[in-house]
Amino acid sequence: MTPGVDAALLAQLRAVTGEAGLISDPTRLLSYECDGLALLQQRPACVVLPRTTDECARAVALLHRAGVPIVGRGAGTGLSGGATPVEGGAIVGLARMREILALDVENRTARVQAGLVNVDLSFAAEQHGLFYAPDPSSQHACTIGGNIGENSGGPHCFKYGSTNRHVLGLTIVRHDGSVLDLSRVQLDPLGYDLLGLFVGSEGMFGIATEIVVQLMPIQPVVETVLAIFKDLDGACDSVSDVIAAGHEPVALEILDRLTIEAVEASIFAAGYPKDAEAVLLIECEGSEAEVASSLDEILAVVRRRGAIDVRRARNAHERKKLWAGRKGAFGAMGRIAPDLYVADVVVPRTKLRELVLGTTRIAHERGLKLSNVFHAGDGNLHPNISYDRRNPDEVRRVLEAGDEIMELVVKAGGSLTGEHGVGLEKQAAMTQVFDEPSLRTMCAVRDAWDPQRRMNPGKLIPVHACREMRGALRPKA
Amino acid sequence: MEPNALVDYVKSLDCIHCGLCLRTCPTYQLTGVESSSPRGRIYLMRAVAENKLEASDPHYREELDYCLVCRHCESVCPAGVRFGEMMETARAGAAKAAPRGALERFARWVGFQVVLPSRFWLSLSISALRFAQRTGLLRLAAKFAGARKEALLSMPAAPPASERRSLPERTPARGAQRGEVALLEGCVMPELFGRVNRASAAVLADIGYACRTARGHVCCGALHAHNGELEGARELARTTIASYERLGDAPIVVNSAGCGAHMKAYGTLLEDDPAWRERAKRFSKRVVDFSEFVAANAPADWRPHAAPGLGKLTYDDPCHLCHGQQIRSQPRELLARVSGAERVELANAESCCGSAGIYSLLRPGDSQAVFEPKARAFAASGADTLVTANPGCHLQWESGLARLGVKARVVHIAEVLAPSDPDSARANVR
Repeated sequence: MTPGVDAALLAQLRAVTGEAGLISDPTRLLSYECDGLALLQQRPACVVLPRTTDECARAVALLHRAGVPIVGRGAGTGLSGGATPVEGGAIVGLARMREILALDVENRTARVQAGLVNVDLSFAAEQHGLFYAPDPSSQHACTIGGNIGENSGGPHCFKYGSTNRHVLGLTIVRHDGSVLDLSRVQLDPLGYDLLGLFVGSEGMFGIATEIVVQLMPIQPVVETVLAIFKDLDGACDSVSDVIAAGHEPVALEILDRLTIEAVEASIFAAGYPKDAEAVLLIECEGSEAEVASSLDEILAVVRRRGAIDVRRARNAHERKKLWAGRKGAFGAMGRIAPDLYVADVVVPRTKLRELVLGTTRIAHERGLKLSNVFHAGDGNLHPNISYDRRNPDEVRRVLEAGDEIMELVVKAGGSLTGEHGVGLEKQAAMTQVFDEPSLRTMCAVRDAWDPQRRMNPGKLIPVHACREMRGALRPKA
Repeated sequence: MEPNALVDYVKSLDCIHCGLCLRTCPTYQLTGVESSSPRGRIYLMRAVAENKLEASDPHYREELDYCLVCRHCESVCPAGVRFGEMMETARAGAAKAAPRGALERFARWVGFQVVLPSRFWLSLSISALRFAQRTGLLRLAAKFAGARKEALLSMPAAPPASERRSLPERTPARGAQRGEVALLEGCVMPELFGRVNRASAAVLADIGYACRTARGHVCCGALHAHNGELEGARELARTTIASYERLGDAPIVVNSAGCGAHMKAYGTLLEDDPAWRERAKRFSKRVVDFSEFVAANAPADWRPHAAPGLGKLTYDDPCHLCHGQQIRSQPRELLARVSGAERVELANAESCCGSAGIYSLLRPGDSQAVFEPKARAFAASGADTLVTANPGCHLQWESGLARLGVKARVVHIAEVLAPSDPDSARANVR
């Protein structure tokens, strides 16, 4: 790679974004070394913070001409290293692009800049009885643009689907600074579904700068229930049973004992009983009658599977508290160790119990502390391993455990990622899921978007399959 | 120098880099730059401890200075990172690693060591300020002040000498006495907000509490600690503790959020001082915020009357009350008790107004940039009067709204709750 960030280029970039929109001193660049995956760090040569699509396009064009690799970044909260910089490359940060450009209440759509924080859209839509459904646990920090890159999920995506189900249009700055306008809303894609391709492309196809999303109506009745278990198995089996019985709650989330302890010690203490081995968070919504009948049946299943207590949130405040605990779980683990590795595997829901057990065994065999908090309804497990990155041997064991967890899950018919993306973290494991022709097809699609492979290079596609290093499939000059 | 002495490394390890703090941080909101966020600043502190960054690095120091230490991040941090304390240590460390220039050192010495702890110098300074403001001398000086022009002109209006008198040593309860408390008069409070102190004492008297002051005590050292002057802060903490020990063990009511939050943390400040550790902890337990005390102790049927001319009220949470002391509901409950007052909520009431102690004087431009969204929220609320509970915020709101041409009153919550004329009420019960 030829890093071409020199004083002349910096001056040109500064002319585009203004003094405040360019960072090139080594000190401040330090804080961009990693994203939510603090395990892997690389130092960028500069960070560019455009304010508009036009500024973004001009900056990218300059970087393109200089041959500088580009990594797009929202809030840097991703957990797979999708926004980890390339050593000597540029970060194009969207943190100054956070306007809501239009809120179309009648058509239930919003047009936003990509750096808008996820929850700010729902706050703005709330007064019109609408909300934005994808709700990653980091929704108070992460950006809609970052969600597009990783095709993010969240507890409520069990019912509503992940980000790709909610994106209607995009304005994209391509690798060379040209602007691709896919913002005309089409309910059924005409021609190739470029939008569909772009969502989840982890910043390798370009940078989304403006986004049209659909908003959902807030349901008249929402009920949130906390079911308390003396063992984790009972909670897992409840979820399998609830789904097998054909119920459709909005969310089904499980937290295990270690997670409960960390959350209860934090400011997000939600009143989860500390002596429980697991809690299952259930949310149902709809009309009053719908909610009442389905909740009754779900609770019957849950009790049959050994729930020792069931607590209903009595009002919006209590419901918010139950969810704040769940969503603060990742950060709360900072109380247990300085670092946390969050795996993100998807398993068949009928095998929840055995795979949760399997992941725990893998960690314990290596003397690691593992906690579980997961979107049980989707079969999306987050086995969390607490560690200290200053201990190289522990880091090695964490990575090893991560690999083995992925291997175990793939063998059981599952997948590598539910919502965090592949990034750097799961790149090598891609070969377990995809054969050579599939990976080559992915490479070909990527080359169509970015022939020089300078957008977020070194992510997602395993290096030996794409032969970036060996040069067998040399990128076009 | 041992890098671990320059930052609080152990506390920095609590941060797991999740980023939930970003959205709450006023300086990240303004810039979108991650090193200007709590997570980014902690990352830099860790880099200092791990020998990857010099504590004397100018960009590092700038990021530390740019922070308002509003501690909003602490209210959303799932890992419970104690960011405010980390900032105090890091600021002290950066000053050790690269001493400030001679002029700045002198100015800080005058401010922190001479003026703040001394009633005489405080009083003299405010008299001089009033003189300069009344005669136009200040405007003249501002013309030659260059970059400091704005700061000089936005200095608070010094009240006349008649306003600037101390509380009596004891204010008796009105009617039957239900208890006795100590009230912190503070350093700048008697000079700039004598009326707030009198209103506070009047409210306490009104709910049946006699109130005493610690003669001769001036400054609690909060401003010192926030600005990394930790030795000065410890010295003042010891003086403060000793002064209030002389008043027995009655609760110490504090009507300044910044001072209250700091005094509640004396136990931590003097943790490494074996002679004072236990006394500090005992002292901190006595400290109670004004709203916290009144809400907990006012008779159930206590209904203060709205002072005339206040109109519609809205309450803005001082950072060191809501984030520093987790006090949010009490001031609202108290305002809801006021008969004849309409109250509306202020959007983003928990975000910083940009005052941040002496930040508004040190960095007037940044302080005003932080204030602007607050002013917009106030205008959108439709309120006539802004209610606060901290002198710094009080001054910031007064000067900020005036600068933007917004006509509104700014009052301390004690002024809303006090019998219509606190001074005459005081006279009545004497």
